[in-house]
Amino acid sequence: MSKIRLENLTKRYGVVEVLHGINLDMAPDEFTVLVGPSGCGKSTTLRMIAGLESVSSGEIYVDDTPVSHLDPKDRDLAMVFQDYALYPHMDVARNISFALRLQKRPKAEIAAKVREVADLVGLTDFLSRKPGELSGGQRQRVAMARALAKDSSIFLFDEPLSNLDAKLRGQMRAELALMSQRVRKNMIYVTHDQIEAMTLADRIVVMEGGHIQQQGTPEELFKRPANRFVAGFIGSPPMNFLNGTLTETPTGLAVQGDGFAITLPEWAGRDLASSASREITLGIRPSDLRFDPEAPEGAGFDLNVRVSEYIGAQSVLLCDCGSVSFTVEVKSETPIALGEKLRFGCQAEALHLFDKTSGQAVLNNKHP
Amino acid sequence: MQSDRPNPAFYPLLAALIFMAVGPIVLMLANSFKLDVDIISGTSGLFFLPTIQNYETALCDVLWYEPEHLDFCQFKFGGAFINSIIIALVSTALTLVLGCMAAYALVRFRFMGRDAASFTTLMVRMVPPAVLLVPVFGLWNNDFCIGKRTWLGELIRDSFGGRGDVCLEGTHSGIILIYVAMNLPFVIWILQSFIVQVPRSLEEAARVDGAGPFQVFFQIVLPLIKPGLAAAAIFTFRIAWNEYLLASALSDRDTKTVPILIVNNVSEFNIEWGVIMATGMLLAIPPIIFTLFASRQIITGMTAGAVKG
Repeated sequence: MSKIRLENLTKRYGVVEVLHGINLDMAPDEFTVLVGPSGCGKSTTLRMIAGLESVSSGEIYVDDTPVSHLDPKDRDLAMVFQDYALYPHMDVARNISFALRLQKRPKAEIAAKVREVADLVGLTDFLSRKPGELSGGQRQRVAMARALAKDSSIFLFDEPLSNLDAKLRGQMRAELALMSQRVRKNMIYVTHDQIEAMTLADRIVVMEGGHIQQQGTPEELFKRPANRFVAGFIGSPPMNFLNGTLTETPTGLAVQGDGFAITLPEWAGRDLASSASREITLGIRPSDLRFDPEAPEGAGFDLNVRVSEYIGAQSVLLCDCGSVSFTVEVKSETPIALGEKLRFGCQAEALHLFDKTSGQAVLNNKHP
Repeated sequence: MQSDRPNPAFYPLLAALIFMAVGPIVLMLANSFKLDVDIISGTSGLFFLPTIQNYETALCDVLWYEPEHLDFCQFKFGGAFINSIIIALVSTALTLVLGCMAAYALVRFRFMGRDAASFTTLMVRMVPPAVLLVPVFGLWNNDFCIGKRTWLGELIRDSFGGRGDVCLEGTHSGIILIYVAMNLPFVIWILQSFIVQVPRSLEEAARVDGAGPFQVFFQIVLPLIKPGLAAAAIFTFRIAWNEYLLASALSDRDTKTVPILIVNNVSEFNIEWGVIMATGMLLAIPPIIFTLFASRQIITGMTAGAVKG
């Protein structure tokens, strides 16, 4: 039930600044996911919250109390590590109860807690095994159980699923989602996998280069990315980007570029009327395109289909639009011939426009 | 193609190796049961009348009866044995305690001159003990003394007797101190390589779980470097047990160790080979027991399962 607030959090290693003033508010019981590519500072942020890294400047507040000067043990939090970090010389029960034993709780209470938590993660039959005798998924569960046993108000996860194989990862992800619903606590989860972020988060924080790029619900980030980086990072397959110029045409404002011309809807034209002849990047998600030979002028792309990747109900087509590669996701029944030039239509609502130099969104897919 | 059958030359080689390893011990064992006459007569071999007389002579001060062939028990094996045990065990324990803490600090903490300190510990080990002997002898005799007029000096003199100042020379502590100094660099060096292998995230997990720095060290790191501690213990104990040069100079009549005792048995007129052999056999027993005990702690793959794998 705690509220976490990061205020101007900065981290420097020598003269190199890796986090540039992070400001973040996390509501009580919120599942926050920090997501971003390697080296974006997400793990550093988490480790600073945990107290494993010192804070160069700025402050971390838990329930409005500054905590950045406290040792990890005094911060009332539990953490699941990427490599599980199980104590190899203790069996599962002792691993789970380590924190409780340090707190010198009564033996009966510890035993009851271990049983309860082991039951929750399905480890009851393995309590007397050593971590070396467990599979990767079971070790992951032990790590979770150890964090759960501690009864802290804050849960930190540092890429907990990245060492599991794909199938197990999906399964553990679902279990984690279930667990987070049952155990309402403040959870902060770091991952580089945007699917984990989308499925688990109440709030996603996208980071890059030591800055927060955007934060919001998964839907907000997917539908209204604040800049080109977030647009490209969230969503799979990633969004297509085409460079072009805003031009006045008799039918209204349009984006023209190498091999395409898209007319913007009237409401968008009003917003952007002043910025005609501006250099712009047009973004469109692969799933927002449909195979439509009859798509009218200014509402479709002529694409040269190079490769078709069949993935079941959907197929991903790798195409060329002019000289730029372009991805389209279509229903697998769609009659596609490789090497042909086909026309795909798109809704005006699906368009995203970004400033070409700054990458900031100038028009997001918003319905009028 | 690789064949499972070993090269025929393998067997003679193996036999030679076994002979080299076991031969001296067999010879020592056989001779320890012979009278000096039999040993020196040159009719070496396995045909002799075994006697435990040598062992009786060696152990005369701990036996419950008086051996017939001895008029006077001059060979104080029991006392020397206890000296050796005290010195070897205490110096091993001290070396390990100091060594694991120093190694941990060198591996995990960042401080000025860390690399230099790490390198210097090993360089110190390169100095031959003989070089240390003369200065240490001087220091132990003249500098590291408590004046006989001070209250502490008087207290010690009153309790234990003696004349002159109370010096390190001739005490157990003096020998233990030099053994610790001698073995510490190597132990630090061995343990460093073990501590490096303990995943850092284990220590971080323990800290998040609520452990303070000492709890992290004693409950997480120490159990994981047990194999290293065992290896270092065997090494340190063996050196302290066998050391002759420094002990010969720094011990006195009451603190001499078994190796010194054996050599003292060689006199101008007589070398009591049988007794030397018997003492040698007895001398070998404690390190063997110690090694068997310590090597049980050497279990490979201690950190298996700690982190991803």
